Amino acid sequence: MNGDKHIASGTKSSGAGMNDLRLEAARKRLSESRNQEDAIEALREIVANFLGSEEIGLFKVERRTATFQVYWSFGIDAENYDLLRALGEAGLQRVMRGECHVVLPSRERSGTVVRVQAFIPIRFANQTVAILAILRLLPQKVAFDRSDMELFKLLSEEAAKPLFGSSVHSMPVLEGPGIRA
Amino acid sequence: MSKKILVVDDSKTALMMEREIVERRTTYQCVTASDGQEAVEKAQQERPDLVLMDVVMPRMNGFEACKRMRQQPGTREIPIVLVTTRGEESYMEAGFRSGCNDYITKPVDGAELVALLHSYLGE
Repeated sequence: MNGDKHIASGTKSSGAGMNDLRLEAARKRLSESRNQEDAIEALREIVANFLGSEEIGLFKVERRTATFQVYWSFGIDAENYDLLRALGEAGLQRVMRGECHVVLPSRERSGTVVRVQAFIPIRFANQTVAILAILRLLPQKVAFDRSDMELFKLLSEEAAKPLFGSSVHSMPVLEGPGIRA
Repeated sequence: MSKKILVVDDSKTALMMEREIVERRTTYQCVTASDGQEAVEKAQQERPDLVLMDVVMPRMNGFEACKRMRQQPGTREIPIVLVTTRGEESYMEAGFRSGCNDYITKPVDGAELVALLHSYLGE
């Protein structure tokens, strides 16, 4: 798809500054979550306040069927969106390997602007245990930028434990062929 | 004595970030509140030099809190900057009708926020 961009989780930091304060606040908020419910609220707040979207879906690996299931969503009814299918098989495999996937704004033939989407692997012990999908950005937020990639990386590396609690230790490893959107 | 900013947001994440910006990137003090009702009360007690306030909050929203502050002698003259995810013109107009001095949208750009605070309070 034109405009797709694959960004490895190891994006280089842009250095000190306001973005560091943002990363620090996000990290602190996640780590200080009182329970899983509060961690989900933290995730919603981070995406809304720092990334500029109020349409979010979180998909968790389902062991029995080797698929992803909607774990939580905000601003959309994720059950009605074929979000992960939009990634395609190759895109899904990349996200499973730990790369963030950002769909940059582009125009369809009809002239309608395609929703910006980001797919962020939520990782634990070097495995992807869930995928965070971010849909439409707020009107005043034009696109994701470099500093957003650093926040994606933080979420990717640090959100699993607060979000899934101790169950993250027993979550399945499903990489490579076999996982379905 | 350093100037004081009342930061109001029901989101712990936003409050954390805005507080960090104020305390680490300016010379101002920071006090916080987590909804409009608490903001009105804190503004009376603390008499801040500026209020930086979210709009969508439980108990009392930012528009209503702004109106209440404008009605009370002790807080009538305090500059109020509303901060929200809603950037539509009609929403901004409602903000100005409620009596705010400025209106900024989330995600907040830290450098722009500091510049805005300096424009009201000086460096």
